[in-house]
Parts: sequence; C-alpha cells; structure tokens
Amino acid sequence: MQLTSPQKNMLDGTEGNGLRKAMEILMAYGQCYNAKRLIPIVSVHIAGNFPVLLDEGIDWLEDFAEGGTRVRVFTTKNPEMYEHEQADEMNIPARIRKRQGRIHDVLKKLGVTLTYSCQHYLVGNVPRFGDHIAWASSGSQVFANSVMGARSNRDGDHVALAAAVTGVIPEWGLHIEKNRKADLLVDLSALNLETYGPEDYKALGWSLGKKIGTHIPAFVNLPSDLHIECIKGLLYTLTVTGAPGMVHLVGITPEAVTLEAAFGTKIPKAQTLHVSQTQVDRAYGEISSSTTDKVDLVIFGCPQCSIQEVQEIVELLDGKQIHPDTQLWICTSRWVKTLCERMGLLKRLLTAGVRVVSDVGAADGLHLYLRDQGVRVIAVNSARASYYAHNLFGMETWFGSSKDCVLSAISGRWEGRK
Amino acid sequence: MIRLAAKPVTRGIAEGEALVTRMAISFTGGLDPQTGIIKEPGHELYGQCVAGKILVFPNGKGSTTGSWQYYAAFKRGNAPKGIINQTAEGVVAVSAIITQTPMVHQLEKDPLDCIENGDFVRIDADAGVVEILKRQEKKHQGEKIFTDVQGR
Repeated sequence: MQLTSPQKNMLDGTEGNGLRKAMEILMAYGQCYNAKRLIPIVSVHIAGNFPVLLDEGIDWLEDFAEGGTRVRVFTTKNPEMYEHEQADEMNIPARIRKRQGRIHDVLKKLGVTLTYSCQHYLVGNVPRFGDHIAWASSGSQVFANSVMGARSNRDGDHVALAAAVTGVIPEWGLHIEKNRKADLLVDLSALNLETYGPEDYKALGWSLGKKIGTHIPAFVNLPSDLHIECIKGLLYTLTVTGAPGMVHLVGITPEAVTLEAAFGTKIPKAQTLHVSQTQVDRAYGEISSSTTDKVDLVIFGCPQCSIQEVQEIVELLDGKQIHPDTQLWICTSRWVKTLCERMGLLKRLLTAGVRVVSDVGAADGLHLYLRDQGVRVIAVNSARASYYAHNLFGMETWFGSSKDCVLSAISGRWEGRK
Repeated sequence: MIRLAAKPVTRGIAEGEALVTRMAISFTGGLDPQTGIIKEPGHELYGQCVAGKILVFPNGKGSTTGSWQYYAAFKRGNAPKGIINQTAEGVVAVSAIITQTPMVHQLEKDPLDCIENGDFVRIDADAGVVEILKRQEKKHQGEKIFTDVQGR
C-alpha cells in the first residue's frame, strides 16, 4: 500500500502509540482487501458500549487514547447503558456506573462527539451523497450506503476508531464505485406488500439476511411510497442475520434509480431469490424466543425511536394506563426526548406509566441491570433487539408490531402473534 | 494431505483441530467470550466451544461490535487458534488483526468443501497456505507424522 509521508510518520510511531496502532490496523485491514492507498473520510461513527467491550475492551480503549490520541474527523457514538440523570432512580449498580464512566471519560479524551445515539444521522452526523465515511453500527452503515448514498464498508469498531484518529480508511470494497453494484436479485412479487407494516419488513429482513450473507442484493417490486420506518426495519434486520454492506432498493437507493443502474451494465439471470409469505411467517416464529405470556417489560427503541415513532406510541396508548406489573420503556436520543418534553408528549407518557429513557437503545446494555431487577420476559417491535436481548442477555422475547407491544403493555400479557 | 493456497488476512502460523460450519457467525450475541461457546440458537455450532480450534466458516455477520467480543474472548483464552473464511468480512478481519490471530481467506478451493470437523489443519498465513490432514488420515498416520511432514 502506498503511504504519504504524514501517514508514514503515523505508522512509525513518531506521533504516538495510539496513531501507530491505528495505522497498523488500517494497513493490515487494507492489505487483506488489496487496497492500494488510504483515502480521506469525513465522518465516523463508533458503536460499542460496556456489555460488548467488557473490561478488556475498556483497557484497550484507554491504552489507545494514551498519549493524547484524538479524532481528526467528526465522530459520533452509539448509545450507552443508562441515562446518567436517571441512575439513582433506576438503581444502576456501582459496577456499571464505574464502567460507563470510564468509557465516557476515554471517549471525551479522544474528542468523540457524545451523541449516544444509533440514529446519529438524525442528530447531526449527516454525510453527503458520495462521501467516504467509516461507520460501525451495522444497521446505520447499510442505511448510509443504501439510503444516503455515502460510502462505508462494514467496518468493525476498531477500524472505525483507527479511521477516526488518522482521518483515513483503506480504499477497497464499497468505497470504489464498481464494487457497489448489485450481484443478487430479490424478487418480492409473491408477497402482498401493500399490507406490510414495519414489523413485516423486519420479519422479511430476518428471513432474507441468512440467504444474502455478504452479497449486495437489489430488491425489486417494492411499493414506491415505502415508508422510512419500513426501510429502516428491513435494513436494520438484514444486518442481524446477514452481513450485506449495501442494499439496492430499486427506485429508492440513489444509485438504483432503475434495476439496470443497480446492476451496472448487465443483470445476471442465475442469482435470484424469491421470497414466500411462508418464509416470512416462519421468521416471526424464529424471532420470538419466549413461551411465557406474562410480559415484564415492553421496550421500544432499537434503533432509538424517532419523534414519529414516539407520537405513534402515544396515539396507540390512547390515554390508557399500562398494567401495574408491566413496564413500558421508550429508548431514544436526548434530542427526541427534549422534543417530547416541548410537545407535551413526555407528560402524557409519564401519566400513562411510561418511562422515556435517552442515550440508550433497546438492544443495548440496559438488559445487564434489568435482568438483576427481575425482568425476564420482554416484548419488542424490533427483531434486532430480540436477537441481542436474547443472545447477549438471556431475555425471553416476544416480537410483534408497535400496536401488539402497546396492547401487551396495557394488558400485561403478550397480545401479538405467537 | 491437501494443500491449498490462501490469501492472508493476518500473519503467523496456527495448527489444530478444525471446527467447521456452513453458517455465518456473529461474534456479538453469537459467541460467549466467557466460555468460547457458540450460543446463537439454531446455529450449527450451538453449544460447541471454539477455543483452541481452527474455526472454519463462510463469513462474519451481525453487529460491528463483534471485534470487542472477540477481543475479550481472546484475552480470556477462549478464542480460536486460527480462522479460515471463504471471504473475510470486515468485523472478523479486524478481530483477527487486533488479536494477531492467524487468518486466511479466498482459498483456491472452497474450504467448506475441503475441511470437516476434526480434520487437522495448519494455517501458514505468512506463506499463504492451508494444509489439511483428513480425520481418517490423521487416525491412520497419527498427528506426529503430520508434524514431521511439516518439518521437511
């Protein structure tokens, strides 16, 4: 790989150990994919919090920041484990406060913008069409490529951190225009998509992710008025069971105005995936892992709820109270919570018995302390949250629509499909 | 013995017993760093321990935080000795890079067709070669002979 002289200095260690380590990561990563050079990026997003970093990860991060390493491009951060201001009220154990505190301090030292949001593109980190970026957080990474037309590979957190402090990324994969073309056709014509809500797109994504793997699929026959929540639902779930870095939603993705544009010059005949309703129905069964009807917690916000989703929950509650033995949490960004307060939604939600928590996501670290507080069975409208809450934290999960979830919070029992 | 050319992701040499799956692996949610056990329900390797194995799988999937979970598994002695992928995906690649785990991909033949559970596999990521001693062959010749073959 060809390096400029400032890049060579970083690799030599003349600018500190953090930068040397960052360059070593980028070099090895670039060589693995035959990258010829490192190219400048304009935006970075990093993902991990304590339950995935664990103590070893915090040590790694502190070591990385040692000697004054700082980010050179705008860098935002995914959610944390709890909302700082609610720590006492929610009995956050001292061991968790200590870990989150260490992560917070080291990120601040690195110069990361502490958004604590997985919808950072809703709170200020918005790349342009064609921009080179390094976004960890698999769901938003595929969103950036597929909806915004920015260019990011599926970079793991360590690559994103290395890119943040050096300001560059190896030029390979989705940074190169010819590699962004579709290589697999997904035909949805057998599905009645007119009746599909966001939850159905999530079940569809769950089913398809396994078959798509690392391919770049082109989806055809999508409704032209497909709602952004359905797009998010599909993309954020495809990257749970699969690993596509980019998806062409023909008619929606900036680089896929037509099917021909998605594929480049020719459309291959062999590679076509047909999806049946039976497969989508089966996915519903796979996403839910619970057999217990009583629901301890209904939790929204994976990814963090947009203001529109909060408004929908308020409408679905319709002035009713949630069940005394069931909790309902809305996880969102600090910005959306502020907006809720300004619009009077927060007061209505509190009156109904709902808790609005900012700076956390529904699949993230909060299960680490919720489990200790007796929460076993959770209901979610996110297939992604179901996967991580079950596999990382042993929660029993129910998956359904927002309406199923709100009705379950009111009755205290799972009201959706089983 | 089968000898296949491979493209290195990292450097170094690792040898051991193969643990093979045709399913992708998510290190976050799919691997327990405390035990090295695959814990994704429905996964082919569910309940099996990857520690000390040569882990052969098509590619990574899932959360980009996987490299943290892999790093923790490594520090606790629960990571595989080496990794062979069909095509390295970014999260698995950087996991191997930060832990200096020998890893190769893009073999001249599909590793999932050539390697079975229990085969003895040697990754030489410096030379870009994977050597496979089949289970039966291994039983017949013993691992010592395999090591001798390597020595020549």
